[in-house]
Amino acid sequence: MKTPAAHPDLQRSSVGALAYTDVTGKRHDKVLPVRLFPLTDPNRWISITDLQGQELACIEEVDGLPDDVRKILLETLAERDFVPVIQVIHTIRHAELGCEWCVTTDRGQTRFCVENDESVEALGGGNVVVIDQHNTRYRIPDLAALDAKSRQKFERYY
Amino acid sequence: MWFEFAGLARQCCATRQFLHFASYALQTAIQQHHLWQHPTPAIHLSSTTAAQPATLPLIERRLEPGERVIARLQTDLDRQLRFQNGLLVLTTRRLLALEESQEEAGQIRDWALAEIESLELEEMGATGALHLMATGQPGGSHWRFTAGCIREADAFVACVMDHRGALLSGNPPVESQTAEPDVDDEGLDFSDLVRDSQRGNPLLRLLMFSRPWLPLIALGLVLTVAATSASLLSPWLTGSLVDAVLIPIQTQSQALHVQQITPYAIMLLGTALLAWLLKWGRSFVVARIAELVTSRMRRDLFEHLQRLSLIYFNKKRTGDLISRISSDTDRLSMFISLSFIDFVCDVFQFVFTALILFKIHPLLALVALGPVPVVAWLVKCVRVHLRSCFAASGRAWGIMLSVLTDTIPGVRVVKAFAQEEREIERFRQTDHHVYATNDRVNRTWSFFSPMIEMFTDLGLLLIWIAGAWTVAHGEIRVGVLTCFIMYTSRFYGRVEAMSRFFASAQRAAASAHRIFEVLDVKPDMPSTEGTQRIGRLSGRIEFRDVKFRHGARQIIRGISLDIAAGEMIGLVGASGAGKTTLINLACRFFDVSGGAILVDGQDLRDIHVEDYRKNIGLVLQEPYLFFGTISDNIAYGKPDASREEIIAAAKAACAHEFIMRLTDGYDSMVGERGQQLSGGERQRISIARALLIDPAILILDEATSSVDTETEREIQRALDNLVHGRTTIAIAHRLGTLRNANRLVVMEHGLITEIGSHDQLLNTSGTYARLHQAMLEVSHT
Repeated sequence: MKTPAAHPDLQRSSVGALAYTDVTGKRHDKVLPVRLFPLTDPNRWISITDLQGQELACIEEVDGLPDDVRKILLETLAERDFVPVIQVIHTIRHAELGCEWCVTTDRGQTRFCVENDESVEALGGGNVVVIDQHNTRYRIPDLAALDAKSRQKFERYY
Repeated sequence: MWFEFAGLARQCCATRQFLHFASYALQTAIQQHHLWQHPTPAIHLSSTTAAQPATLPLIERRLEPGERVIARLQTDLDRQLRFQNGLLVLTTRRLLALEESQEEAGQIRDWALAEIESLELEEMGATGALHLMATGQPGGSHWRFTAGCIREADAFVACVMDHRGALLSGNPPVESQTAEPDVDDEGLDFSDLVRDSQRGNPLLRLLMFSRPWLPLIALGLVLTVAATSASLLSPWLTGSLVDAVLIPIQTQSQALHVQQITPYAIMLLGTALLAWLLKWGRSFVVARIAELVTSRMRRDLFEHLQRLSLIYFNKKRTGDLISRISSDTDRLSMFISLSFIDFVCDVFQFVFTALILFKIHPLLALVALGPVPVVAWLVKCVRVHLRSCFAASGRAWGIMLSVLTDTIPGVRVVKAFAQEEREIERFRQTDHHVYATNDRVNRTWSFFSPMIEMFTDLGLLLIWIAGAWTVAHGEIRVGVLTCFIMYTSRFYGRVEAMSRFFASAQRAAASAHRIFEVLDVKPDMPSTEGTQRIGRLSGRIEFRDVKFRHGARQIIRGISLDIAAGEMIGLVGASGAGKTTLINLACRFFDVSGGAILVDGQDLRDIHVEDYRKNIGLVLQEPYLFFGTISDNIAYGKPDASREEIIAAAKAACAHEFIMRLTDGYDSMVGERGQQLSGGERQRISIARALLIDPAILILDEATSSVDTETEREIQRALDNLVHGRTTIAIAHRLGTLRNANRLVVMEHGLITEIGSHDQLLNTSGTYARLHQAMLEVSHT
């Protein structure tokens, strides 16, 4: 699908939601931005959908947008984004429900449960995604960049 | 002195506080466990940044007299989506919120229930948000939490709104309303998932698993010990031979007396023969134990897999499961037969030889034991590392098998898109991964094993030096030294074997872990759970405000539908509307997360699952045929069906004619997934399969959408036979398939939007009319 040449008309509505006016001038009061490649290419290809999941517009390049629109878009995305980046692995130990990970992420410390081996997926290039029991994704963007101790704890997965 | 006392006093105080809190927590947890259960408990790291759970006592202190806590919700994110605990508490009068941020600790806000305009839960991707609108507060208040809290949040919102409603309508809430039953269920469901089996060392569990063969294991041990003792005799005899016969002959220039040597020679031969016999028996017994244990393990694994729910299989890779059942059990078999009993024997020999050494010469023995602590330390260093390496290697093997189970059945697609090279590359990569992980093991192992050997060689050298010294000082005789050296090398042999054992034990532990991981998964819906035995149902199905949530996603949002016995319902709606999920719920592949499904007036969860499934005929879009004959496949749901029944079912399914045309008729083998048959033929066999069990409830999941119109007509004819007199739920995209339906149900986003007959729905010009119009347009072009 071809991205429209003109940038999509995004605004903040009075209630704080993202609003969109399409090419015909119709205004959608609440729209959702959706990253199409949240793990491998999070900053390009962002779809604007209505609440029913119908695509209204698709933005290929966020950087190409005018500053105000980009700001609104990134803010709205930030409200919905939740893929903590694992920085330090403290422990991975066997618990009642699979493995319990205790980590420090860019969003603070947490612990979560990984139910099975398939939930730790290498995407190639040292990029690893860990999916916990509630389907929350955690990322390790570059295994080699982890400290030695954390890497050692991760050893059984690579 | 004083400081010590003060410190002690502080400690006591802290302990008491803790106890107080603990007992309080226990008390309240019992009262309202469903809202208290927090799936991602707060961190208890010693680190200072670790968030502490927001505690209830802080709020407790703020309560007015007569005010009581009804429900609470623990949140785990702040508004910037950083991990931070917070607490929302509903009391009889107010809603209180405790937020702990880095800057200000324990800030509490509150709203009177009457002030609350709305409290809404919004799912925002991987997280959830609660939006509170209150009078005099534009913009509202918001809380965020991870997906793990969404179920609790949902229940909490319901609780708050109920109370607010009750309060505003002037009926003070009744006690029993505070804990809503369906919420309670969810809480219980959650704890059900926790496996009760003992965890811990997988090798210990392997031992526990082998309990039934304890007598055989004992026999193996006895044989092992006996064989070892027999072989231990020979150095002793050799030593005596040297000292009592050979040295006197040499030093005193006596003539060689055959009768002096003969008894030694016979005894040596005797011990060798005995050792051979005993070792033979031992090897056989031990190998049999290994095969028995792993064979049972494979069977248990397979049996267990058959009991697990569809949700589990959706998550797992087939290849990985196969590798667990095949190669991991094989590794365990190797471990038991080669290492395990040997290890026990090694320990025995180790202790025994050490005792003998001490008996011969305590000082030399001390020298001989020198390298043991070093070896033990080396083993300890390498153990954890090896364990992870073996785990990684097992995982890599599973991934490689997954590529195979993925590409071999999909070979048509691979060839059609000419992607052979790509698949070769994909396999090469996973295979390289297997190589790399094994290489990692070998790197450590190849370094470690000679290292131990070197230490034992060094030990032997020490003994020679010390021995020579003692012989020179006339403390012991050469024969004793010979004997000592023989025992020492044997001793080191055991030390080496034991260190090797620790490494192979790590491999076995990794494999055992992978196996127990599967065995530990508790079946989500054990067939024993529903105890109500039933015979044939009449087929009335009632969906009562059914909700289903998968992870954070609410797929079914509250569906109520009463289906009379014998009625045919057509489910219509766009893909992703929740039709298939609804059907899966009706089959009880999954359990509802809210509401209930009643069959003949009984809750589905109370009914024995197998009994219930005998009442269900399922025809899927992609019929799955098993390896076997056509008649086997038709009789799959009723293996004892007579030939007559099979033929009758095939005739009713319009499959008889084409089966007759096959060379082997009903005995024709259909390979994996029935590749030799056309789609329509396979579908008709699966219809015959459903017909044969004469189900009360029939479920058709797009049974005709994968075939051409001509075949569809035939299948339709077969289906008409099948539908007659049964409660039917059919999903179809081709609306014509549903022309016989008594009612059509249109679903959108997990909700029912329209119900009615074809004509009624066309007249309302809603979704159905639109779908119908779209279909007409397609068929006209």
